[in-house]
Amino acid sequence: MRAALRVFAAEGLKQHRRIFGSKLVVFSMLLWPVLTLATTYYTVLPVTEAPGAADRWPLVAQPGRLLAFLAAGALAYTFFFSLVQSAWHFSWERVSGTLEAMFLTPASRMALVLANGSSALVQNAWLFGCFGIAAAVATGTLHLAHPGMLAVAALALLVPAVAWGAFLNSLLMFSRDSAFLYTLLDDPLWFIAGVRLPLFALPVWITAIGLAFPLTTSLVVLRGALLDGKDVGDLAGQFAFLAGLSAVLLGLTALLLRVGERHAQRTGSLQLF
Amino acid sequence: MIVTQELRKTFPGQRKLFRPAGPATDAVDGLSLSIPPGAVTGLLGLNGAGKTTTIKVLATLLRPTSGSVTVDGLDVVTHAREIRRRINLIAGGERMVYARLTGRENLWYFGQLYDVPRAVLNTRIDELLELVGLTDAAGTVVERYSRGMRQRLSIARGLINAPAYLLLDEPTLGLDAPIARDLRAVVANLARDGVGVLLTSHYLAEVEQLCGHVYVVDRGRLVAQGSPTALTAGTRLPHTVELTLAEHAPAVSAAVAALGAEFEVGVDAEERPTFLLRSPEDLAGELATAVVRAGGAIVRLEVNPPTLEDAILAMAGASPAVGAESGRAAVAAR
Repeated sequence: MRAALRVFAAEGLKQHRRIFGSKLVVFSMLLWPVLTLATTYYTVLPVTEAPGAADRWPLVAQPGRLLAFLAAGALAYTFFFSLVQSAWHFSWERVSGTLEAMFLTPASRMALVLANGSSALVQNAWLFGCFGIAAAVATGTLHLAHPGMLAVAALALLVPAVAWGAFLNSLLMFSRDSAFLYTLLDDPLWFIAGVRLPLFALPVWITAIGLAFPLTTSLVVLRGALLDGKDVGDLAGQFAFLAGLSAVLLGLTALLLRVGERHAQRTGSLQLF
Repeated sequence: MIVTQELRKTFPGQRKLFRPAGPATDAVDGLSLSIPPGAVTGLLGLNGAGKTTTIKVLATLLRPTSGSVTVDGLDVVTHAREIRRRINLIAGGERMVYARLTGRENLWYFGQLYDVPRAVLNTRIDELLELVGLTDAAGTVVERYSRGMRQRLSIARGLINAPAYLLLDEPTLGLDAPIARDLRAVVANLARDGVGVLLTSHYLAEVEQLCGHVYVVDRGRLVAQGSPTALTAGTRLPHTVELTLAEHAPAVSAAVAALGAEFEVGVDAEERPTFLLRSPEDLAGELATAVVRAGGAIVRLEVNPPTLEDAILAMAGASPAVGAESGRAAVAAR
């Protein structure tokens, strides 16, 4: 455990140096999600003004709550996509030779991918997270059953996100041709996870696919806990599903790390660009 | 002690979509060697001989296809994690360090991954930075380092866990001569302190200087082994002796011929007579005596014994035709 914590500290420093190469990054950390949110809001707005839209989706009649709905989506998406970016960068360590240097060490591989993911998450998303909560409080759109639901919402966002990040890291670490994943997990993820639209507005088959991604259920919990005043009991089903999905992702991560390292040791692929 | 027995490493052929896989490559083919603690052991061969593959198997980065590799009795496959605590690898070039971290941060990062005790980590980082001459640049990000500085930092990274065995794969590649000389001193000191070192290098003078025992591989097979001196002597390559006389002396040619060695007669730029003698033994003393007795006045005498480089090239040239066994037989066994 102590050794794993030291891996977390090391990865924290590395991610900090990678992301904060320039102070301007602080602006992009806030500006990029805010611009994304604004674009989404004004894209969705004409749809909400269509006749009968409020009958299917009552939220559209309340622009403040609609914005909060979309902001929660953008917040969660920022968390999850930062992990896609982090995994992408991790895969580039093969080129710089540092992946081999990392695998020379006795450090736990699972600790490495978890540390890499969680460090990227903290480094990338803290500013927008703080901004989002502050904006929700200031505009009065935050509806909590009790203050503890803030922690519950954070847990429902962070734990699956870290499991997702570890899974992606293990996938991209050993694969040289996974650039398509980056594209696949950008806009399509945004769509199928219900970031812009509520799940009931999406076709059933898309909803079914979306459930395989933890972002989808994390969003349901986040919106329920922060915007709809739901308590733990109301969200128990989603919690159980998220816990199961996170466990599956971590199990797959452990398997991929084992199989991937063995494959790399057999083929020598760890040194290939 | 690191011991490999009949080590083989075959890389599978590359799989292609809708096409059969390419042929497998035998990178290491039945290699048996031992690397004792407290000594520098050389691993030599031409490009593609299997040196780097061997080193990566010892470093647990590659898994042997067959044969066994043990480090202090621990199997490299079943006890990889424990072995990683005891070894480290330094490869040539400036890879294996993070460009956006400072020199000190790089060493701290890897110290954390090796779980170096906190109480000693900072002291060790200071010592290593001083050792590789980077104390003044410790706080500078590595992307601002020169190639040589990055390579020196890589060397410090390889020592961060105070390894019991150090695997050096062309460690002085790209280093300036003074830094390379300092590194050789460091390696010699490490061996004196009990560290077992395996060294591959294209600078064979470096190997001659540092290694007590050398393995020569070609196409993954052991071609020869022994001390650098024994390897050089074993190839029976000629010593050359170049001799220049002050002026022509009629009896000298007959005296040189009497030595029974192959020789050439010529003149130098100042029209002075020269003799070039080739012999498996060093005949410089006998030649000088014979020439003086024959009335010759020597103005220059230069002896060139065969080098390890000559020996390696000779072995590599001979091995495809004559096979490993004859090469092995030609040199002194360990």
